Amino acid sequence: MTSGRTVPLGRRNLTEDTRRAALSIGGVAVALLLVLVLDGIFAGAIRQVTAYLRTLPADVVVSQQGVRTMHMSASALPPTTAERAAAVAGVAWVAPIWYASGVVATATGRQVSYVIGYDPATGRGGPTRLVAGRTPTDGEVVLDELGADQLGVRIGGRVTVFGAPHTVAGLSAGQTSITNTMAFVAVADFTRHVPRPASYLLVGARPGTDPAALAARLATALPATTVQTRTEFVDSEARIVTDMSAAIMQIMALLGLLVALAVVVLSLYALTLFKLREYGVVAALGGSPWRLARIVTAQAVWTAAGALAAATGLALLLGAVIGRVGPQISIVVTAPSVARLGVAALAASLAGAQLPIYRLARLDPAVAFRRQS
Amino acid sequence: MTTAPATTTRPGPDPSRLSRGGRGSAVAVGRRLVLAEPRRLAAGALAVGLALMLVLLFQGLWTGVRAQVTVYEDKTGADLFVLAPDAASLFAEGSTLPLSTVDTVRAVPGTAWAAPVRSGFSILDMHGKKVAVTLVGSQPGQPGGPWAIAQGHAATADDEAVIDPSLAAAHHLGIGDTLPVQSRTLRVVGITTGPGSFMIGLVFVRHDAAGALLATPDTTSFVLVGTPDPAGVRTRLTSAGLQVVDKAQLRDADLTLATRIYGQPLRLMVASAITAGILIVGLVTYTGVVERRRQYGLLKALGAGKAAMVRLAFGHALALGLLGTVAGSGLVYGVRALLALWRPQFPVILTPAAFGYAAAAGLAMAVVAGLLPAARLARLDPATAFRSA
Repeated sequence: MTSGRTVPLGRRNLTEDTRRAALSIGGVAVALLLVLVLDGIFAGAIRQVTAYLRTLPADVVVSQQGVRTMHMSASALPPTTAERAAAVAGVAWVAPIWYASGVVATATGRQVSYVIGYDPATGRGGPTRLVAGRTPTDGEVVLDELGADQLGVRIGGRVTVFGAPHTVAGLSAGQTSITNTMAFVAVADFTRHVPRPASYLLVGARPGTDPAALAARLATALPATTVQTRTEFVDSEARIVTDMSAAIMQIMALLGLLVALAVVVLSLYALTLFKLREYGVVAALGGSPWRLARIVTAQAVWTAAGALAAATGLALLLGAVIGRVGPQISIVVTAPSVARLGVAALAASLAGAQLPIYRLARLDPAVAFRRQS
Repeated sequence: MTTAPATTTRPGPDPSRLSRGGRGSAVAVGRRLVLAEPRRLAAGALAVGLALMLVLLFQGLWTGVRAQVTVYEDKTGADLFVLAPDAASLFAEGSTLPLSTVDTVRAVPGTAWAAPVRSGFSILDMHGKKVAVTLVGSQPGQPGGPWAIAQGHAATADDEAVIDPSLAAAHHLGIGDTLPVQSRTLRVVGITTGPGSFMIGLVFVRHDAAGALLATPDTTSFVLVGTPDPAGVRTRLTSAGLQVVDKAQLRDADLTLATRIYGQPLRLMVASAITAGILIVGLVTYTGVVERRRQYGLLKALGAGKAAMVRLAFGHALALGLLGTVAGSGLVYGVRALLALWRPQFPVILTPAAFGYAAAAGLAMAVVAGLLPAARLARLDPATAFRSA
């Protein structure tokens, strides 16, 4: 212990009894899993909610004044917006889309759906990826394949959209979320059932045109609207989920970490009492209270590290399993989320180590020479 | 090597009775071992209590969510609801009807009153955050607006709004504050009585104002119907080609939607909390077995059988489960009070069923968690008692 090499007592104490180590690390891991999974569900929801917008071909999106999002939003553009936007320098193309919440139903099921009306001739604003069938004509609809699966319909099947019968012409992918699915119909079809002005205007930039500069020019030309680059629009959309989930995430994180803290205190304190004689030996051999504290701290750090690794692995596994069992829920474990949780878990573990450290600070080295009962 | 002096200084139970599973002796030994270190027992029970508190909290939050999800239809006083074809819920499905539907409904014999409501979601940009709300537009003096106003008054102008208490609490809004809705600014003139809505706040405005904000004039979303003869009026409205649902159907539809969205994550959370509880009970029980293996070895050396040893392990686990359930039940009231101050938009409604569920979870935790220490005790070598520490 004095030759420069030290015995890693903290780690050895922790791993000496593998079952006990598994229980302590497992207890902390499950508590951390609670936080990681919830964070993963929200991260997955962000990915799902922004899937359509992220894959739009547009560089700039124009919406009703004061409307910066699509999810849970209503937007209606002034009638001449498309023509005025098309005249702005740097605009390669414009494509209005119509958007409404609705229901896609069969005789046996129903799905809350965002219905998009678009021009199938250009395909702009339509399904991101058509995996089967073709684009819709009047009286037809393209459904997301997952939504279609849940409704039990295939291409050629009959569904009602806006209460009117439609035939499924095609299937798209990646546009069903925990809250809803998406359906695509032709503009004429949409406006016949839901007469209203266009909801958003997609704008493509000419090659070499900076989207931000184009957005600024469009904002000047279209004063009664809100103009955003696609990136800004996607960021705005993602923030709906992050802002709505912030309060519930704080509650869950606090409670999960509280349970983790309780497990760390329990396991480290019990282990410290169990190893009291050995600590007495270390003290009798000249080990300072600081050295004893470092041993317990090492145990806390190893417990937190092991638990974080286990929780991350479990969350990834759970994400894969849930992806197969209930694909409308997506659990996305992100590196920043793991890092944030790691810091919090380390803090909880170090807080949990304080009680055993306090106990060791008062340790009498003579305990090493007492007989156990 | 040491001998076994402990047998002379600390007599154990009658081994013959213990080995036969004699109930009195076994219980006494178990109790003594469980109570040997009260501080550790309390710490273990507290940790189990934390896990069970989480289970109770999730159950209470879910009950609160269910109450909040149906608050609007529960409070409107309508007997029937006329929606767009295929729609089954009020807000989530974008129900849109021609405003003339109200006259059609009023003309149906048996209808006491009919009131149109224009609704739609909107995302507000407030203090740097995105806030989801449901705009609810009703005609002044008619049902469909704020059910009861706790502070302020109903909206009398197009730029006035009444909000629900959850929205007010979550964003510290009061009378006179403003809301940026679509491209306009609404002034808060009233706050309804509770309970508030869940996650998505309710903003009550005049019907025309909602139509203008949502850019859908001459339409409405649904029509509330009051009648002394719901069945007869419903038949007549359906014959007129309208989609009609009653309050029970609406509640079912809203709860089904809420369960589909929030149910699975909640079940995952409950499962995680129960697993954490199992591991905590297992940790405490197993630690107790490992640390007192000499005493347990002594019992075996004195003739205690496997069944008695297993019973000791499970007894310890059950005691922890029981104490943890009690601790969790107390803790959840404390956390609920703190949440009511910190995050009042998430009411926790505790029901006897939730406590029953938590008690069952505590019992299940104890049974599962007792397996590992029980296996260890069953395999314990009696010679352990005579080995030096």
